[in-house]
Amino acid sequence: MDKPLAEFIDMLRHNDVPVSIGESVDAAETVQMFGYRDRGLLKLALAQVMAKTIEEHENFDRCFDQFFSYNPDGNLTREPSKEETEEIDSTNPAPNGEMPPASNENTVNSPTSGGGGGAEGVRSGEGMPDPSSASLLDLLETGDRTALTMAMNSAANVVNLSGILLMTQRGLYTRRIMEEMGLDAVNREISARRKADNEAGADELSGKLDILFERVRDLVERQLALTSAGKSSRFRQDVLKKVRLSAIEHRDFKHMRMIVRRMAKRLTDLNSRVRKVKNRGHLDIRKTMRRNVAYDGILFETHWKQKQKDRPKVIAVCDVSGSVAAVARFLLLFLYSLNEVLPKVRSFAFSGTLGEITDSFDRLGPDEAIPLAIDTYGGRSTDYGRALEDLKELMFNEIDNRTTVIFLGDGRSNGADPRVDILKEIKQRAKRVIWLNPERKNIWGSGDSEMLRIAPYCTTAETCNSLNKLELVIRDLLKTS
Amino acid sequence: MTIIDKEPAEAIEAIRKGFETAGYICDRHIATSIYLSQKLDKPILVEGPPGVGKTELAKAASEIFNAPLIRLQCYEGLDESKALYEWKYGKQLLYTQILKEKLGDLLEDAVGLEQSMEKLHQFGDSFYSENFLEARPLLQALKSEEKTVLLIDEIDKSDHEFEAYLLEILSDYQISVPEIGTVRAKNKPLVFLTSNNSREMSDALKRRCLHLYIPFPDADLERRIIRTRVPEIEEGLRNQLVSFVQQLRGQDLKKLPAVSETIDWARTLLLLHADRLDVEMVRNTLNMLLKFEEDIDNVSAEVPKLIAVTQQELR
Repeated sequence: MDKPLAEFIDMLRHNDVPVSIGESVDAAETVQMFGYRDRGLLKLALAQVMAKTIEEHENFDRCFDQFFSYNPDGNLTREPSKEETEEIDSTNPAPNGEMPPASNENTVNSPTSGGGGGAEGVRSGEGMPDPSSASLLDLLETGDRTALTMAMNSAANVVNLSGILLMTQRGLYTRRIMEEMGLDAVNREISARRKADNEAGADELSGKLDILFERVRDLVERQLALTSAGKSSRFRQDVLKKVRLSAIEHRDFKHMRMIVRRMAKRLTDLNSRVRKVKNRGHLDIRKTMRRNVAYDGILFETHWKQKQKDRPKVIAVCDVSGSVAAVARFLLLFLYSLNEVLPKVRSFAFSGTLGEITDSFDRLGPDEAIPLAIDTYGGRSTDYGRALEDLKELMFNEIDNRTTVIFLGDGRSNGADPRVDILKEIKQRAKRVIWLNPERKNIWGSGDSEMLRIAPYCTTAETCNSLNKLELVIRDLLKTS
Repeated sequence: MTIIDKEPAEAIEAIRKGFETAGYICDRHIATSIYLSQKLDKPILVEGPPGVGKTELAKAASEIFNAPLIRLQCYEGLDESKALYEWKYGKQLLYTQILKEKLGDLLEDAVGLEQSMEKLHQFGDSFYSENFLEARPLLQALKSEEKTVLLIDEIDKSDHEFEAYLLEILSDYQISVPEIGTVRAKNKPLVFLTSNNSREMSDALKRRCLHLYIPFPDADLERRIIRTRVPEIEEGLRNQLVSFVQQLRGQDLKKLPAVSETIDWARTLLLLHADRLDVEMVRNTLNMLLKFEEDIDNVSAEVPKLIAVTQQELR
């Protein structure tokens, strides 16, 4: 596989397009078939080989444009053979270094040629103590593109450009590369020319220097696009998983949804394989026949098609009152995702009274369903006693020894009786009762918190204030089911 | 199948033209996908909103490659006995009956149990053999002597388990029948899987396929589609109705009208001898385009405005 493709695949992987090894082999074949000449066609073809969902297609298109737009420069370093094709495209900066100097010096402003000669003298004097910088000057003067690019790349290696991570480091790296290439000497040269009243010579040199700056900046930009885009999004995801739920900002909601969804899906995938063959429904003829061949073809032992998937039955109750307003959205989001991946989740929300939100979760997207739940049931002051009474009335008959009841709430009941007796009854019936509290354990019981009274009636009562914690708890839940 | 041996760009253009003669207007995007699938021997997973011609694509491909179309419609509960293969149980039972009757004759000269068993083992085990195997669409496609186009329609309607059955076919073009062994494709079929994205396909399946997303066509493409599908319709009306439909797609509707709806509408207008869109007629025929009462109510009020825009565009 050629290097640009490998780099491109790397970039895709950092940008949420998971390219498998098989797919990259296909991609290599595709590139071989199409070549790099017709970019439009190559893009169409590669997209179908590597991107497998609509979102991935969007990411792919963005990455492709970004990656291959830099190529005029990139090609110079990697594949000189393609220079002919690119030459025509790259009309600005690069050719400036090659063609125009001749015209500049000879025809446009003739005084320059004299100035140039003067500069020559100064430069040779300047060049003595620092030979490496002299080469940059030389390169700029002669406008040797290939040599310049090579010098640029080796300087980039010296300053370890591939370590660039953040947007804000762009300036720093650009500067470092320039310095490595011998910026100081060139600057000294420019000021020397200005002192020597050789304004035109100085302007010319600084013009070339600007072009070089531009190209170094491009190089840095490109490297940043390659390495950081993905890393920073992964970085952000890692941070989001650890950060306290109440501290997450609204704009990260979308990211959260993705993370939570992935989390919930992984969890249920791990746990949805248990099944039992049911004892009714359609007769599985082929199996029955096969099993009964031994009995002379008399259908003696029956087999049935339906299989029962043994998945946990979950009743989730979420507090959406003012005291947990900051986290309610995320708890509901998790509930929503759980509802998406587990077939038997019944979700409830309450602050004063309690109501079922499973239906709206089924019908609406999270962007509508979650605010709706908060609007409908939130805003009133919490009353756990009342909520438990409602829950008992609605769901008590549904709770059996396969049911897990999850409460998401801070246990602050505003002084009202939390009715732990109902909780006790529920616990007796259900497989287990889990209480997830966004507050830390050491403030449980302070103020109007009833957690210390509640906790004994739960199978587990845990602090749950970040996604990582949430995942752990839910994993436990599914593991033991 | 000589088209695909040409240079990529040429071959793709040739495929596009081929589809056009088969009455399926497509852009380079789709043609590229067909070319790639032939070159890389990969199935194509076609996604897109309903009615943009996903199934039609497979039909057209079967026409231009002159390969018979084998279609498998997926639904919940579809299992391998309906998609892959099934044993002919009735025949198998008869076989045991016959065997029992003939057993005396066959074992006539055998002495003792041991010899009888030995003799019995000498007969081929034909109980589970190709003779008793009923090929379902997937197996048919593999066993076919000529190249076929295999369409696995609406794969998203099937169960997760069924996806797993498919994996072997999709990656290696073979099926393992436990009692017989592996059946390999004589001619690798051109496989299309279509999905409305009602559920996400597994990564394993996606990895084995090329992914082609067919969106709603742009105005130009849609005009060409209508010209091919409803050639009798006048140019002015055609442009106007396409522009009308394109505008509808920009609105908040429960179900956006797809190409198939545009075609139906064009045919309807043709039947009504319309030569241009007028408010009353559009209102009366909106039910060809929109499939929800709510949508029809919402759009009805907007019709004069939408028509005005189409007229402006024409000028």
